[in-house]
Amino acid sequence: MLSNKTVVNHRILKEALRIRKVEEKFLELFSLGKLNGTVHTCVGQEFSALAFAGQLKKKDFVFSNHRCHGHYIAFTGDVRGLVAELLGKASGTCGGIGSSQHLCNNNFFSNGIQGGIVPVAAGYALGNKLRRNGAIGVVYIGDGTLGEGALYETMNIISKWEIPLLIVCENNYYAQSTPQHINLAGDILARARAFGIRTGHGDTWSPESLMQKAQEAIDYVRGESKPCFFLVETYRLNAHSKGDDDRDPADVAHYREKDFLNSFKEESPSYYQLYKDAVDEEVDRMVGEILLEDELPIEDYYEQTEDRTEGGWKPLEAINKRQVELLNQFFRDVIVTDDRTVFLGEDILSPYGGAFKVTKELSFLRPDRVFSTPISESAITGISNGLALNGFKPFAEIMFGDFMTLAFDQIVNHASKFHHMFNKKVNCPVVIRTPMGGRRGYGPTHSQTLDKFLVGIDNVTTIALNTFLDPAIVYRAVLAEEHPVIVLENKTDYGKKIAQHIPKNFVAEYNTDAFPVVRIRPAVSAPNLTIVAYGGMADLVAGMLDQVFLETDKLPELIVPSRISRLPLEVIAASVCRTGRLAVIEEGSAYAGVGGELIASVVERTGQKITAKRIAAHPVPIPSVKTLENIVLPDKVRILQEIMTSFS
Amino acid sequence: MALIQEILVPLLAVNDTTLTVVEISLASGSKVSKGDLIMVFETSKTTYDVEAQTDGYIQYLCEADRDYEVNAVVAKIFSEVGEAAVAPVIGPAASAAPRIAATVTASPSLNGHVAAAHWEGETIFSYEADALIVSSGIDKNVFRGRDFVSVADVRGLLKPAAPKAPAVASAPAASVDPGKAIVERLSSAKKREIEYLSDVQRTGLTSTINTYVEVEGIFTHLNPALKYLKDSLLPVIIYETSRLLADYPLLNAWSHGDGVAVYREVNPGFAIDIDKGLKVVKIAGAGAKSIGEIENDILQLSGSYLDDTLKLEDLTDITFTITDLSAEGVAFFRPLVNKMNSAILGVSAIDGKLQRVVLSLTFDHRVTEGKLAARFLKELKERLESYRPADGAVHQDISCFKCYRTLREDLGGAGFMRCVTPEGKDGYICQACLKGF
Repeated sequence: MLSNKTVVNHRILKEALRIRKVEEKFLELFSLGKLNGTVHTCVGQEFSALAFAGQLKKKDFVFSNHRCHGHYIAFTGDVRGLVAELLGKASGTCGGIGSSQHLCNNNFFSNGIQGGIVPVAAGYALGNKLRRNGAIGVVYIGDGTLGEGALYETMNIISKWEIPLLIVCENNYYAQSTPQHINLAGDILARARAFGIRTGHGDTWSPESLMQKAQEAIDYVRGESKPCFFLVETYRLNAHSKGDDDRDPADVAHYREKDFLNSFKEESPSYYQLYKDAVDEEVDRMVGEILLEDELPIEDYYEQTEDRTEGGWKPLEAINKRQVELLNQFFRDVIVTDDRTVFLGEDILSPYGGAFKVTKELSFLRPDRVFSTPISESAITGISNGLALNGFKPFAEIMFGDFMTLAFDQIVNHASKFHHMFNKKVNCPVVIRTPMGGRRGYGPTHSQTLDKFLVGIDNVTTIALNTFLDPAIVYRAVLAEEHPVIVLENKTDYGKKIAQHIPKNFVAEYNTDAFPVVRIRPAVSAPNLTIVAYGGMADLVAGMLDQVFLETDKLPELIVPSRISRLPLEVIAASVCRTGRLAVIEEGSAYAGVGGELIASVVERTGQKITAKRIAAHPVPIPSVKTLENIVLPDKVRILQEIMTSFS
Repeated sequence: MALIQEILVPLLAVNDTTLTVVEISLASGSKVSKGDLIMVFETSKTTYDVEAQTDGYIQYLCEADRDYEVNAVVAKIFSEVGEAAVAPVIGPAASAAPRIAATVTASPSLNGHVAAAHWEGETIFSYEADALIVSSGIDKNVFRGRDFVSVADVRGLLKPAAPKAPAVASAPAASVDPGKAIVERLSSAKKREIEYLSDVQRTGLTSTINTYVEVEGIFTHLNPALKYLKDSLLPVIIYETSRLLADYPLLNAWSHGDGVAVYREVNPGFAIDIDKGLKVVKIAGAGAKSIGEIENDILQLSGSYLDDTLKLEDLTDITFTITDLSAEGVAFFRPLVNKMNSAILGVSAIDGKLQRVVLSLTFDHRVTEGKLAARFLKELKERLESYRPADGAVHQDISCFKCYRTLREDLGGAGFMRCVTPEGKDGYICQACLKGF
């Protein structure tokens, strides 16, 4: 026994003791009320961190989860940044914003969402592979995460695309409080093997052997540029978080005795004491200093900004090309000229070129930059997020807008959060494109306009294309964005030409905003009704402006925003101030939607009494049968009727 | 090349469907040069000069002091003198010539917005506007130069439905014995005034309520804010009224068909009549102006009134009227509501003895009712009285719970004391009763 232990490098032992000291200090600080939030400590699991994160190169990367302190220290060595972070100080690695579960330093990232980081890590690794820089990465999961689907979507893809990612599964036999036998079916390693991924197996009670196997796995991933799945048997000696421990005390005691550092203490008390005194002194002194530091002022984190519109209206020019051709042309140009671009999505390889042909022939132009994916929306989005973190400009295509729900975790808990929770150290300029809209008879799950779910996500810009602007204008601005962008295209608009049917006596213009606002106004007379419509509805409404006037005697001005996450309030409020009437026409249902948001904002801004109306889809799933679909989605007849009754 | 210019009656204000020719500058057949004054029209608000757009010979188709409908041809300019000399048919043209003359440069459109640009393209009529045009027998061509024509645009051209002609002009008058009385023709301005006042009053549905405002000591506070109109309540009344009207939209409105049209802005006007006829002039945007600025406007507009330099915009779109007869020493009076208004506020003279002034509000019962008008007047009274010095604001009519003498009657000048009455209620007691205890 002793021989096995003595061969373990004492540097590693000191590192493990240091991690343990930091974790125990956190528990102590927590019980003293100095630590806001929560901690998940890795006491007992330290050698897993040292074996993988500790043996990577500087150019490599680590993605981790809620139990990430050990991984962080092993990879970055930055104990000070970690302690300050958990104590909520400005000098913390993320300024105290992220704290325990959300750390970022150089190529280290952690997030508290189980499983979601796996596709992000895969995307980061894919970026390294595209750069051919020889860097690889490790993503740590726990055995509890084996229940998450995103993991399997990603394992399928990393195996198929040979992405150099090492998944380390730390098996501590409990998912929070639930023993493994209650939740886990079958065999853990067999799951990875089923995807054709090479596996490794070790434990933290034989650190020397674990270090060696870990190095072999790292070398395999780097050398072969292939993924690997490594299962580390281990045991956490403390509770999942703090006081939530219902495990059998005898069981815990058994592992406490088995713990390598505890045995080392028994067998080499003098060395143990020497090392322990050193780390105690170091950590205690550090904590004493950090406790006196200041927290991040709110101005450094958030400052309210007002959207200003540039004004300067220019006449719209008709383009005798279909929207889809212009989109395709733009992407063709971009994929050859901008080395950051990567395209991912289902069925996007040519000759098929995507369900709506937007990506037609892109894979002929840059085969290495177009990835046709399995049906895995979560992984497509997560991998795109990882590519974006790694400096790429990924364009993820979600085949139907309805499937955005499957990508939602990646948008809300990952893409939107990275920049802020890592205290602005990173940007995630991912672009997610998806076609929305009905009127093609595709029925309840392929016709929806779900924009209401996508416009209120912090730090995510949501754009709705329309048939008045050259989509290249909008996408050029998307390309320049530093943060996540969702672009809602419209199925029926793809086939339409640009700015073709402007009704007689109306003038179509667009302004100089980055995401231009389109305005279709009466040529001379002052309008007395403001209509706001966007996306697929805009084309329909523009085509009936003359009819609105003829039948309702109200002279309308149509405003078509491109950016619907922060609406161009200045333009709309100015119009409503003149007309006193506002109709918002949406293809989704009205409740808690864009129209409600817009009307509220306009009223807040103008402080004026206005007459307002939301005209939207009926709140039922969209029927496939044509007559019913045309009733559920707002059509010309209903729009006219509702304008007439609301504003007479 | 005979006819080179037709002069039509211009559309200058939405409500003026007829204009009066007040001056014919030349004789028919005279030679005119471009820029020469041909004639002068009078609207309800102001006068409008017509100049020749070209050289030629003038032929008048109208007479002075008569009314002509908008778009009627009232004069022509010919290239040859002979053509102009041909005896013209003179008389108010019933149907307008189907052309918009160059003299019509501005056409009012919706929201009082004046469309500056001239539209070369087709004119689109809403179905409702189209139906109204057909039923009213209007020639569609009068709208040439417009991009869109709505019902409001058509109505703007139509006369107010009920009185086809001004009330006075059409009233059958019994013949007058010239030996007994001399008939003096009403001036055009007076006719307008009658027409304007009869629009609301004719319905008989107006009512007047009065209140008095305590003004004792009020000028101690007000005069420092005033430069010239010291001891005048008009600036502060305009100031407070325009702020208060924001809460009483129905008093800033008019009865329109079977509905009520509420003005978007508060633009009160005040009536002036100093030798030049009664005019109501507008204090634009008074709700955002200070008392000093309002005073300044009053002085400037009065100056313009006396110099005859009032502009059309000084006289149009007045949403509420204030008439101040305080200089005439009136005790109280019943003001008359103006056309396209729903109420008018009358200010009488300050009663020097009682230190109070009567405010009278006449309102159109079709638009609002007494309760709301009374509330408005009460609130206005309170606002005005708040300018009085604080000590003056103490209730003068608190009374002694024992002898019922009020504070006002406390001639001893010792004042009252606050006390608890034998019933355990809060009350006041006078010094006399207190000493009696």
